Amino acid sequence: MSAPDELLRVEGVRKAFPGVVALDGVDFDLRRGEVHVLLGENGAGKSTLIKMLSGAHRPDAGRITAGGREVRIRSAQDAERLGIATIHQEFTLVPDLSVAENIFLGRQPRRFGMIDRARMETAAAELLERVGVAVPPRTAVRELGVARLQMVEIAKALSLDARVLIMDEPTAVLTSEEVEKLFAIVRRLREDGVGIVFITHHLEEIAALGDRVTVIRDGRSVAQAPASTPEDDLVRLMVGRDIDQRYPRESGEPGAVLLSVDGLTREGVFHDISFEVRSGEVVGVAGLVGAGRTEMARAVFGADPYDTGTVEACGVRLPAHDVPAAMAAGIGLVPEDRKGQGPVLDASVADNLGLVTLRSASRAGLVDRPAQHTAAGRIAGRLGVRTASLEQRVRTLSGGNQQKVVIGKWLLADVRVLILDEPTRGVDVGAKVEIYRLVNELTAAGHAVLMISSDLPEVLGMSDRILVMAQGRIAGELTAAEATQDAVMTLAVTDPAATGNRETEESRDR
Amino acid sequence: MTADTAARALRRVLLDNGALTALVVLTVALSLLSDDFLTTRNLLNVGVQAAVTAVLAFGVTFVVVSAGIDLSVGSVAALSATVLAWTAASDGVPVWLAVLLAIATGVGCGLVNGALISYGGLPPFIATLAMLSVGRGLSLVISQGSPIAFPESVSRIGDTLGGWLPVPVLVMVAMGLLTALILNRAYIGRAMYAIGGNEEAARLSGLRVARLKLLVYVLSGLFAAVAGVVLAARLGSAQPQAAQGYELDAIAAVVIGGASLAGGVGKASGTLIGALILAVLRNGLNLLSVSAFWQQVVIGVVIALAVLLDAARRRAGTGAADVAGTGSGGRRKKAAGLALAAVVAMAVAAALSLWNPHTSGARTTVGLSLSTLSNPFFVQMRAGAEAEADSLGVELNVADAQNDASRQADQIQNLTSAGVRSMIVNPVDSDAAAPAVRDANKADIPVIAADRGVSGAATATLVASDNVAGGRQAAKTLAEKLGGSGRIAVLQGTAGTSASRERGRGFAEGIAEYPGIEVVASQPADFDRAKGLDVMTNMLQADPGITGVFAENDEMALGAVKALGSRAGSPVAVVGFDGTPDGLQAVEAGTLYASVAQQPRELGRIAVRNAVAAARGEKAADLVKVPVKVVTAENVAEFG
Repeated sequence: MSAPDELLRVEGVRKAFPGVVALDGVDFDLRRGEVHVLLGENGAGKSTLIKMLSGAHRPDAGRITAGGREVRIRSAQDAERLGIATIHQEFTLVPDLSVAENIFLGRQPRRFGMIDRARMETAAAELLERVGVAVPPRTAVRELGVARLQMVEIAKALSLDARVLIMDEPTAVLTSEEVEKLFAIVRRLREDGVGIVFITHHLEEIAALGDRVTVIRDGRSVAQAPASTPEDDLVRLMVGRDIDQRYPRESGEPGAVLLSVDGLTREGVFHDISFEVRSGEVVGVAGLVGAGRTEMARAVFGADPYDTGTVEACGVRLPAHDVPAAMAAGIGLVPEDRKGQGPVLDASVADNLGLVTLRSASRAGLVDRPAQHTAAGRIAGRLGVRTASLEQRVRTLSGGNQQKVVIGKWLLADVRVLILDEPTRGVDVGAKVEIYRLVNELTAAGHAVLMISSDLPEVLGMSDRILVMAQGRIAGELTAAEATQDAVMTLAVTDPAATGNRETEESRDR
Repeated sequence: MTADTAARALRRVLLDNGALTALVVLTVALSLLSDDFLTTRNLLNVGVQAAVTAVLAFGVTFVVVSAGIDLSVGSVAALSATVLAWTAASDGVPVWLAVLLAIATGVGCGLVNGALISYGGLPPFIATLAMLSVGRGLSLVISQGSPIAFPESVSRIGDTLGGWLPVPVLVMVAMGLLTALILNRAYIGRAMYAIGGNEEAARLSGLRVARLKLLVYVLSGLFAAVAGVVLAARLGSAQPQAAQGYELDAIAAVVIGGASLAGGVGKASGTLIGALILAVLRNGLNLLSVSAFWQQVVIGVVIALAVLLDAARRRAGTGAADVAGTGSGGRRKKAAGLALAAVVAMAVAAALSLWNPHTSGARTTVGLSLSTLSNPFFVQMRAGAEAEADSLGVELNVADAQNDASRQADQIQNLTSAGVRSMIVNPVDSDAAAPAVRDANKADIPVIAADRGVSGAATATLVASDNVAGGRQAAKTLAEKLGGSGRIAVLQGTAGTSASRERGRGFAEGIAEYPGIEVVASQPADFDRAKGLDVMTNMLQADPGITGVFAENDEMALGAVKALGSRAGSPVAVVGFDGTPDGLQAVEAGTLYASVAQQPRELGRIAVRNAVAAARGEKAADLVKVPVKVVTAENVAEFG
């Protein structure tokens, strides 16, 4: 039954949480030296499956075998013993410890009861070499960028002699160059005989890296296919229907200027940013990670201070660093860091939707909660938030639904200019399209959207105009007609200041 | 059918609220263990005893929900109470204005806390820790260390309505409803959940987080002030040392009630249940006459169990709050298992209570409410009392007030409920004990005051050593040893206690007769040996030429001896007070020159003898003086 090179097999696994059946019959197997992609919409059950393999959840029914033998994975320690390592979306590193200490956390080599730093650091250096990162083992993890954090996680997995490596959306936070580096490392691990479970929402990565694909929909494994399957077929399997258009942008005639930014500067972060956003427009902001896009957006919204320049909304000049003033002028922000800054995770869907309008729903200090509840119900229905009830905690929703809630609170506030910072990161194809339709609705109603995104096809597909930022400055502006991937990338890697800025950028990254 | 659904609904409510389950289990267990527990009168007592903690905890709920912490509420309550008494006692200030000023004080403290946290960037722990110290200090400054008795008009606030409904309970209910309204319906309440759940998300949603947090601490200060007014009104006096450690009780009540110290979660009803659990437990342990030392152990265990129960419920029911009927059997089993654990804890408490054999109804029971048992003097007093009770064949029910006047009032109430025949009260504070003693009198229970008097209530007898005379004798002994000239230091006891006041006064009077002796330093060391050591070390640093030390008790004197090292005894003479075993040993060794010995065993013995006589309706002398004697190396052998 089991092939000699089979590492892991999951058969008919079921898992129910109170109120939700997360997995309802999933079959999956992994062989030595392959990259097996898990594909599915958010909430389809991928996370539950990998949590089961890493010991966080136990199945209600079905069996898991490792090397042909049935196993029970009750804890992270059990998973470790079986050679299963997981790289989660949220990294499990201690910021103030060194890279070496993080790699060997809890297993530091010891001598006479004391930690043998020299041996630990030599071993860490070897592992780092293997994953191709030139970081001194003594560097504090806090100083590393997101791509290097991920490499440290991989090095940690290797130090455990992992035979199975589970990677949960490793490319979501990486730039395209970093993605290429990651792929090179994954390919090398595959050659070494490691089996890799790879989760991604980027369909083009499947053909580039994968060997086989298992598609999960509504808690069931619906298909297993070779990685060379055409993307459209995969989408159909994943969503259960055809998605005729991945980027359904409907442009209209731009109207009056709603947001006008002039000469906005914050020393060392962004410089001389000027642009306008008109009614009915979607303006995309492209650029590499670290180009200052998020910082610029937060300053426009008043969440962070700036040194010089002006922001005007609907003709009114806004005071710096004053979120309520920006809101009063009709600006809203959906932040980049969804978990950290978006929803209040332990509050209900209704409470989250009502957060921005809390003040206006209050009379004499008391909140009109019934009215808020009604409004929340209306907007949740319009957004198609999938939830058992409005009282459900946002933490228990999938990423796409959480994002809909964050956007929804601004729709309730009747925002004129909505700033979306990476609105579809970690969101599945179906929910992405729903978010795009919302953008269309907003612009059709005469509002405007400023959309920051590292997902190039998304920026190209959804924007009427594209601003490209590089090293804290606007490197250029492209109309929808002239924008291509090449044109955007060319601008993104230019040096708009043409001074020694590049040097500092690099040294910071190192 | 309907009964079945009702039973199922009840089970759901209990399973969904661990703290409520714990409260129900406790109540059932206590009603089975004690006949005195489930009476209207006793339950009202529990309400009164919970009131102060509950009101403080309501205020702390706001802070905890918004992911902060407030350690200052106990001190702020004491400060507000002091301000109330101080202004009400001044001529021409109407009561309502005094109450208003007291509330304003609490609000002011909250404003300072909030400003330090919101605009000064201090962590809440540090800002409120600072206020804990400042508030306590200011209340000592205003009151000059002594309790301030209330005019009659103010004490009425702590009285009853219609002769049976206690005002503190009304205040607790009103503040609870206000808390629920704020948390559920008010803008600031909803903002607290958002800030506590995700401060950055709240900021990015346009909430003015800094301003709102300031208001949260103002609310907490306001509630602390209300608690302070209730506390002081009930005791009929404001003590600068009141409500020490209450901030921890309040935080415990909030957490038992299901709030998370990480913020974003918490309810008014939960906090009320938490406060009730603490009060029911203390009341029950008094009624069961559990050993004073074991009481603290049991309370700690029950706090941990109550929160464990709730945590287990949460783990089992993650995300299940809105889905009925799908819970797995494992979850029920777990909850049941933990409930069982709570019952076991109660059984342990019951077993402990059996160590004090009190079951035979024929025997006379005498209550003994001690100010503290963390001081050897009172431990010996208890030993003497127990020995005498044994030889007279009566049952002695001992309660330890841990130097807290409000807790003592609770315990006197509980002893009254438990139906003791007579009661010995060793007051933490003479004024504050009065209302509870009056209640005991109303229930026809004669009260014997021991060591300190009760002012403003009838007592059958006062059994006491003469502290003022003792202070005078100490002065004389030290002065004569020094030959009438020298530089001396005084270690004072806990500011505001009567022992410290009286001994200090006697010593000052006595030393004034020796013009050659100069008191160069006089500092408080709180009757504590370790503090005595520190304070003495500091004094020696400031003035190495000190030749004599008077400490207002032996513990501090022994600390001073330690600080002096080889210089203790000669050339530096140290005189202590109390004649505790450790003190006498030091006198024998020569490191302590003298101690003014009280005879705590004798005191306890005489108090019990008088209490038993009073229970039999015999008339006794109004005042029994227990002799005080100076012990030096010459006569120490007589005292062992």
